[in-house]
Amino acid sequence: MSEDRIALLEATCNQDKTWEALAPRYGVTNPSPPWKTSLTAMCDCLAASGALPALERRNAEDDLADSLYSHIPSPERELLALVHTMVSRGLVNEADLISRMKAVRARLEEV
Amino acid sequence: MSHTHTHGSPGDTHHKAAPMVEEITDYEVLEIAVRELAIEHGLFTAEDHRKFTEWAESIGPAAGSRLVAKAWTDPAYKALALKDGLKACKEVGVDWAEPTGVGTPSDYMEFHVLEDTPALHHVIVCTLCSCYPRPLLGMSPEWYRTTNYRRRLVRWPRQVLAEFGLILPPEVEVRVEDSNQKCRFMVMPMRPEGTGNWTEEQLAEIVTRDCMIGVALPKPGRTADVHPIQKARRPVKSSHQEAAQ
Repeated sequence: MSEDRIALLEATCNQDKTWEALAPRYGVTNPSPPWKTSLTAMCDCLAASGALPALERRNAEDDLADSLYSHIPSPERELLALVHTMVSRGLVNEADLISRMKAVRARLEEV
Repeated sequence: MSHTHTHGSPGDTHHKAAPMVEEITDYEVLEIAVRELAIEHGLFTAEDHRKFTEWAESIGPAAGSRLVAKAWTDPAYKALALKDGLKACKEVGVDWAEPTGVGTPSDYMEFHVLEDTPALHHVIVCTLCSCYPRPLLGMSPEWYRTTNYRRRLVRWPRQVLAEFGLILPPEVEVRVEDSNQKCRFMVMPMRPEGTGNWTEEQLAEIVTRDCMIGVALPKPGRTADVHPIQKARRPVKSSHQEAAQ
């Protein structure tokens, strides 16, 4: 499992923007961000389709949780570890991801 | 942004909307972006993702609580639960084959109920990752996934259980059952004293998620909704209390 740093994820892993930090700031009591179940379902889908077996994903997550993303709480850490693993394995491309994130943010901010 | 909603008929009352996190974080954007790319690359479909999301959000520990309560009141059902966990689950409305017909990738269709006795207490863990009887108990708690719990429970079970407030007498054997990719477990705790004439519904209320993991014991009056009532022994005085003195 590659633990090489990924610039996009380095830039994304902001402790101050985790749900744990944000929720109390807005008076929100839900313990998980709205995207948490979607993330879990994505992990299930990747395992079901054979793209990324659950055990391999969790092993990689354990390694990354102890190293690069140890300062980030769950579920953001789980997301970062999943994306890290997907990029490392070539399932998605970092440049594509950067570009897609810009497009997604523009779409969300449009409304 | 804060606003009020007005709903439907003139008789409806105005109420303030629940607070929301009113900013779009990079985490939220990242989750959407990687999912969209995965779908475009053919790693899975949007429909599959929706199905798994719906399924994950629809389950909770209630079925497990019903299973235990039914086993406590029906010896034949208890025997079935201990012999064939999957079949017993079907009787409380849980089919482990859902939602795919062959189970989810992380919930293999082998499941055992572990019976506690006066001399034996079970507790479950997944030392490898986060295997959990999800069809029956819903999503695993965050702490169940932590390395703190996973690594330490197998080495120092009594110490870890004590950290959950569960202190067992030394004569009770503690058995840690390690879940894995192929097999899932659930604890059937002992029926507590003082519940002799209770209905199944009443019993199910005290069989909380943590009791079925094995980090707590069912107790009359203790349900998932009960908040801590122990007063602090040495509370910090607030500034206005000090000012009043």
